[in-house]
Amino acid sequence: MRKPVHHPKIDTLADFAAGRMDEARAVVIATHAAQCEACARAIADIEAAGGALLDAVEPVAMTPDALEKILARADETANIVLPETPARDARPEKRLPISAYLKGGVEDVKWRPVAPGLAQSVIEAQGYRSGVLRLLKIDPGTRMPRHTHKGEEVTLILRGAYEDEVGAFGVGDLADLDGGQTHSPMAVGDEPCICLIATSAPLAFKTIAGRIAQPFIGL
Amino acid sequence: MQPKPGHRQDAPIMEDLLQRVAETGDRKAFSEIYAHFAPRIKGFLMRGGASAEEAEDLAQDAMVKVLRKARLFDPAKASASTWIFTIARNARIDAIRRAGKPPLDPEDPALAPEEAPRADHQCELKERNQRIREAFGILPPDQMEVMRLHFYEDEPHSAIAERLGLPLGTVKSRLRLAFAKIRKEIGDLS
Repeated sequence: MRKPVHHPKIDTLADFAAGRMDEARAVVIATHAAQCEACARAIADIEAAGGALLDAVEPVAMTPDALEKILARADETANIVLPETPARDARPEKRLPISAYLKGGVEDVKWRPVAPGLAQSVIEAQGYRSGVLRLLKIDPGTRMPRHTHKGEEVTLILRGAYEDEVGAFGVGDLADLDGGQTHSPMAVGDEPCICLIATSAPLAFKTIAGRIAQPFIGL
Repeated sequence: MQPKPGHRQDAPIMEDLLQRVAETGDRKAFSEIYAHFAPRIKGFLMRGGASAEEAEDLAQDAMVKVLRKARLFDPAKASASTWIFTIARNARIDAIRRAGKPPLDPEDPALAPEEAPRADHQCELKERNQRIREAFGILPPDQMEVMRLHFYEDEPHSAIAERLGLPLGTVKSRLRLAFAKIRKEIGDLS
């Protein structure tokens, strides 16, 4: 598997590891980390800091019968078999945390065209805090209008590649953008670039074409 | 009184106890794990603003999971306190989900990141955890404070900034510095 070269920022990983991130972004970060040993390790380190804090926190006494209740509940659930790990699937996105959200893989996604060379599919929101999760398909040679971001957005490449002002992004790479940056990515290579995007606030397009396109894209 | 991070006399024991729970369902071993961790999970959640009742319920949920999932604990990957921290963290996430819409199955193995091939051996991991604890000891108090709040609270950083009377950028940069220092201490800051 390709080794990613673009990674989440350390504070994004820290939000993920502390469990304080909306579900949409958490899925994207988990999917990147599953393909990126360096980030998986960074998350493990931050979790270890959480473990050290847990050890050091002032304890608060549990109710007297709590242990008994816990043992009784564990007995009740003793016969529950943990689900089997799904069988290996050749499609890369089917082996990743995002697979729970993509029923049939990227091939079965119902795309909604939004502009020439551009289609998207909004993945059903799961309701864990706010955040929108969607797939964007950019045909080779198509350039997205220049835009900036309100709030925080993470974009993970699932298929293909794109280039923007930041650099070249391929499968497994993650763009961790915030309000300070503008970019206009262009899909490169032979196949469409499929990106998984989690947004905590709408995109803000900078050009007139972008402003016109925005209501259609429905972001 | 401030808790003292970086010191745990019984460090190696918890891992052994967890393995005994995993192998034989040893109830006595579990009750020792419970005695150490359940009140700490409760304290941790209360520091984050949960009521005593909510924290008690979540701590019980987390300890049920510790018992049920003990077989999945791998001492080569995480210390007992790190593993139990992640279980308590996920119990809190599940509780927030339950309060919202019906969730995905949090037990769905597809939601867990796939294990990347890891070269580290258990001794390296112990070393790493030890160094993280040492790094805690040398963090300046202002960085330690935001890092504690980062883990305890599930409010946005902007709420933490407001409470501390600091600009958001200061909170974020203190956090970045704290994590950079911790990761530098363990020698693989990328």
